[in-house]
Amino acid sequence: MVPEQKLKTFLELIKNSTSQELIWMNGYLSGVLSQGKESQAPAQVKNGINKITIVYGTETGNSKRLATSFAATAKKVGINAKVVSMDQYRVTDLSKEEYFFSIVSTHGEGDPPASAKKFYDHIHQNGFQLGKLKYGVLALGDTSYPLFCKIGEDVDEQLKKLGGSRIVPLQKCDVDFEDDANAWINNALHILQNNGTVVTAPPVVAKKATGRKTFSGKILSNINLNDFGSGKETRHIEIAVEDVDYLPGDSIGVIPENPGAAVEAIISLAEITKEQTVIYKNEPQSIYDLLLQKLNIIYLPERVVKKYAEIVQQDIPATRIDLVDLLKIYPVKDAHHFVDVVTALEPIAPRLYSIASSPEAHSDELHITVAKNNFRVHDELKYGLTSDFLVKLKEEAPLNFYVHPNSQFRLPEEDTDIIMIGPGTGIAPFRSFIAHRDATGASGKNWLFFGEQHFTTDFLYQTEIQNWLETGVLTKVNVAFSRDQPQKVYVQHKMLREGRILYEWIESGACVYVCGTKDPMSIDVENTLLQIIGEHGNRSAEEALQYLDQMKEDGKYMKDVY
Amino acid sequence: MSDKNSLSAVEKIKQESNGLRGTIVESLENEITGAISEEDQALIKFHGMYQQDDRDRREERSEKKLERLFSFMIRLRLAGGFLTPEQWIATHEIAGENSTGIIKITTRQTVQLHGIIKSKIKPTIQAFNEAKLHSIATCGDINRNVLCTSNPIQSPIHAQIFHFADRISKLLMPKTRAYYEIWLGEEKIADRKEEADPLYNDNYLPRKFKIGVVIPPNNDIDVLANDIGLIAIIENNELKGFNIAIGGGLSTTHGNEETYARLATVIGFTDTEEKILKAVYEIVTIQRDYGNRSDRKLARLKYTLDKYGEDWFRTELENRTGFKLEEPRPYTFTSRKDFYGWVQSHDGLWHYTMFIENGRVMDDEKLAMKTALLEVARTGKAHFRFTCNQNLILTDIKQEDKNTIEVILHRFNIIGHTETASVIRRNAMACTALNTCPLALAEAQRYLPSLLTLIEPLLARHGLSDEDIILRMTGCPNGCARPYAAEIGFVGTVLGRYNLHLGGDNEGTRLNKIYKENLDEAAILSELDMLFEVYKNERDHGEKFGDFALRKSWVSAPAGFLFRG
Ligand code: SRM
Ligand SMILES: Cc1cc2nc3c(=O)[nH]c(=O)nc-3n(C[C@H](O)[C@H](O)[C@H](O)COP(=O)(O)OP(=O)(O)OC[C@H]3O[C@@H](n4cnc5c(N)ncnc54)[C@H](O)[C@@H]3O)c2cc1C
Ligand SMILES: Cc1cc2nc3c(=O)[nH]c(=O)nc-3n(C[C@H](O)[C@H](O)[C@H](O)COP(=O)(O)O)c2cc1C
Ligand code: SF4
Repeated sequence: MVPEQKLKTFLELIKNSTSQELIWMNGYLSGVLSQGKESQAPAQVKNGINKITIVYGTETGNSKRLATSFAATAKKVGINAKVVSMDQYRVTDLSKEEYFFSIVSTHGEGDPPASAKKFYDHIHQNGFQLGKLKYGVLALGDTSYPLFCKIGEDVDEQLKKLGGSRIVPLQKCDVDFEDDANAWINNALHILQNNGTVVTAPPVVAKKATGRKTFSGKILSNINLNDFGSGKETRHIEIAVEDVDYLPGDSIGVIPENPGAAVEAIISLAEITKEQTVIYKNEPQSIYDLLLQKLNIIYLPERVVKKYAEIVQQDIPATRIDLVDLLKIYPVKDAHHFVDVVTALEPIAPRLYSIASSPEAHSDELHITVAKNNFRVHDELKYGLTSDFLVKLKEEAPLNFYVHPNSQFRLPEEDTDIIMIGPGTGIAPFRSFIAHRDATGASGKNWLFFGEQHFTTDFLYQTEIQNWLETGVLTKVNVAFSRDQPQKVYVQHKMLREGRILYEWIESGACVYVCGTKDPMSIDVENTLLQIIGEHGNRSAEEALQYLDQMKEDGKYMKDVY
Repeated sequence: MSDKNSLSAVEKIKQESNGLRGTIVESLENEITGAISEEDQALIKFHGMYQQDDRDRREERSEKKLERLFSFMIRLRLAGGFLTPEQWIATHEIAGENSTGIIKITTRQTVQLHGIIKSKIKPTIQAFNEAKLHSIATCGDINRNVLCTSNPIQSPIHAQIFHFADRISKLLMPKTRAYYEIWLGEEKIADRKEEADPLYNDNYLPRKFKIGVVIPPNNDIDVLANDIGLIAIIENNELKGFNIAIGGGLSTTHGNEETYARLATVIGFTDTEEKILKAVYEIVTIQRDYGNRSDRKLARLKYTLDKYGEDWFRTELENRTGFKLEEPRPYTFTSRKDFYGWVQSHDGLWHYTMFIENGRVMDDEKLAMKTALLEVARTGKAHFRFTCNQNLILTDIKQEDKNTIEVILHRFNIIGHTETASVIRRNAMACTALNTCPLALAEAQRYLPSLLTLIEPLLARHGLSDEDIILRMTGCPNGCARPYAAEIGFVGTVLGRYNLHLGGDNEGTRLNKIYKENLDEAAILSELDMLFEVYKNERDHGEKFGDFALRKSWVSAPAGFLFRG
């Protein structure tokens, strides 16, 4: 009934259209037919759902990006999508929601992103039902962490428990999330097209991580920035790299090797040979290599200890302990048992280090600032696995790493003023920021707050900071050295002293950045910011809070804390 | 007077300093650096401090992206070098809390503390103030600490002379209140007229100015190395007056032909205290008005004197004082030494002079000297006097207390230490040099002790161990340990190398001259070995090493009192 020519163009059109375009055309045509005459695009889908909510929980911006592109494509097909960050979302609205999609990542050791905490905790309280909620969850994660997409899983289950009906199966994405995520989005839109009829497909299991681009650099120099007499050891490490793309604000991830001695000890305790292999991620691999490079054998989490207990059939108190010690106290019966143990082990989690260099200022180099992590286990002094490994790296040594982008911690427009609060290793990304603004001649003013224990021994990058002050790249610098006087003085005290000016900067549009330890530093700093906003903008505590929330939303208050 | 257009940088800084205040307060508040601004570095000297940095740590710190390890040295104002036991205890405690802990006795009879970081300066000065001690004008272009013969046994009227040194010191103090405002929180003066300074005005002197008062025949203070040297003329225990010597100054600059060391020239005698003070005051005003303010290397009084001539100077002085100077009275110097061990003065009091190598009072594995002195001070039974040979005299000890002190000195082996030190070592001096002195070209106080350990056997080999030879070393040609006024002088040129000077006399009335240049340790030792041998074999009876060196023309006869560097 369609003439040759028309049919040809029609088929060609279909051939060159993406699935979303087809969905749209489909909807459009049905719209045309239903009204018997042409209507304005975008038309609404016949019986289709036209209102959805998308919430995202993000730390480094990926979930947010996906949420917005989800909303954009939805709009194209006439579905009106409201996009909210989980910390901006009014949890009391949940009960009113009908079509509700969550995109959330996992951070820390299987923790929700800071911005998702409130939401996550809320849905974990019982005592309310979400009868009419129809939902879908997209989980972002990284298979190289033990608890892959834990938070996404939890949210997916919890919403079910609360009486919601899952209309789109949970999708867990690894670091190469683009394809999986788009597939999930299209699937979701498709289902919405069909009035959200629940499809009961099994959750898609994430495929093996392939997407991570790992680089291999060479150590150029590795110097201790602290002078002797200091209680700290902070390394400035310069790495020679080739075509590594990164931006100020990004971090690198490093997967440390386990100490060879510990591995040897394990092998001998388990009475197996180095050559022995197991199937890991569906490939045969030598146990020795796995223990050395892939599997975490130190300070095992309780859940792993529990599995171990089951394997060796002994009751072991719920505690964190090294594998070696487990093997000593609760030996395995035989090699088979040990193989089970190996498969119960979790991957070594990557450790992140903020990049302290700028591609503009340090081409073909990447710098990091590493604090040697130390702690006591019944008064034996021990060192953090990765930082100790990095501290020991000699010149010329190779170092494998990947870049972890952080779109939530970026420099603003070149003419926007910035306030950087970075005590300790928190200085690292700001060294990158300042070097970058120096190299690009950015016109915005730059204000740095730095703190450490002692002026004489611990003033990280002192001479660089002094030069930046002289050349005017840095407009203001305030330092706090906690232990140079009887009473402790920290960055927040210096901020308070500068409160008025600080508020003026913020009022005239400055961005505030915080980097360094999460607890207590970033908390104290945030409270101080609130206090300053309250005092100098004479606002109530409540209003100050809103003011800061607004700054977050406008991307004017950014944290990268750990 | 010097040409205004070419005033040296320091002149400008002084003038614009608003009474030596400059921006010191701002500099102290700057948290980003342990240093103070360059201008303030020049001004803070007038407050008795120098900015320094640990030169041993420079490279390492810059690797670590840390600035130099800045700290400050403070020098006390102690006319005649006198401390009460309470003041010694205070100094001991301040040193422990705010500085390196070492109390350094200087070649000008006072003490210095090193390594005081910026934030500790105020507490330090305040603590000193509690103990009625201060550091005003111990450095800078102004009259410095006034020296006075140290040991009371040198004259029954020592007290009178000592008091006189104090009078001069007070007479020439600056009037600015800056020190009290900045360091002691005194109320800011409303109107600078209140601190108007007829002597120093707003530009002070062209250069540092030094005065010393000596009681012959012992020239322990090296009186002729001072801009003004006052030589007490005493006849049967009565002070007749003073010979006035002017134009002493030892510093030279390597390769600068215009600079030279010079001993002071006696230009006359005057009697009453009033006239002496007047003369001293006007000598200072002449230097103020005629001294070179464009080239700091040629700004000391010695150059002013040689430029205008002795006669002109005397006339100008007589015009300003309104009285004539009399002919110099005869005097002689027979020695230049400290009286180690116990001595009893005419008033029956006892005095113990102890040997302190290069003036560094500290505790080390061998000797707990600092603790010993603290114990002595705690008895409250001895005063502390410093000598210009960097030693210490425990003075004014009553007969009945002598034993108490002696017991402590024995217990800590201070007496053993003093008595067993070789003669050459006890006569020797070295300046501070590395690691704190910014001008040092070579080591001095950290090196001389070990060099002496190698020289002692040479002397022994030639049977000269008991010879009273004066040997001195500095790390640069500035001459802080007065090496040009020694029989054997070492002046550092670069790390590990020294010019060897010979021909100075034992009493400090004749300068030495360069014998060999840039010697390293091996060369120094073989030269000395040879020289000692000749000296041993060819000296006249009782002939001093310095005089022998000259007679042998190891160095050509000095051009009068001059030594050209
Ligand atoms: C501490 C002392 C040497 C010691 O080991 O005892 C000393 C140490 C320094 N002298 Fe001196 N001078 C010391 C007695 C002398 C003497 C000896 C004397 O006065 O009897 C001289 C030679 C006599 C003279 O003044 O000509 C002396 C001539 C200098 C000079 C050269 C002055 C000149 O006319 O050119 C300088 C450099 C300068 O002033 O530019 C200097 C500068 C310095 C400085 C402050 C370096 C500086 O300018 O930054 C040294 C500090 C080093 C440190 O860390 O202690 N010092 N200085 C003596 C402190 C005396 C006091 O208590 O005031
Ligand atoms: C976004 C981000 C940026 C970061 N940027 C930086 C940076 O710029 N510079 C920097 O130095 N760090 C940075 N970090 C922290 C860094 O990633 C590591 O967490 C840190 O170096 C510690 O890792 P580690 O392997 O050395 O210590 P780990 O071995 O992981 O030990 C860490 C802690 O675990 C406990 N522990 C470990 N083993 C045992 C045991 N056997 N018994 C008892 N307790 C034990 C101890 O409390 C120890 O302190 C950043 C972190 C994040 C998330
Ligand atoms: C410090 C840190 C810890 C992480 N921990 C986990 C984890 O425990 N489990 C996991 O699946 N992914 C983990 N990841 C990977 C992130 O979830 C992954 O990078 C995700 O893409 C980030 O999304 P976002 O930018 O929206 O936060 C972690 C990432 C970082 C930086
Ligand atoms: S002589 Fe030279 S090196 Fe020695 S203290 Fe004086 S200025 Fe420093």
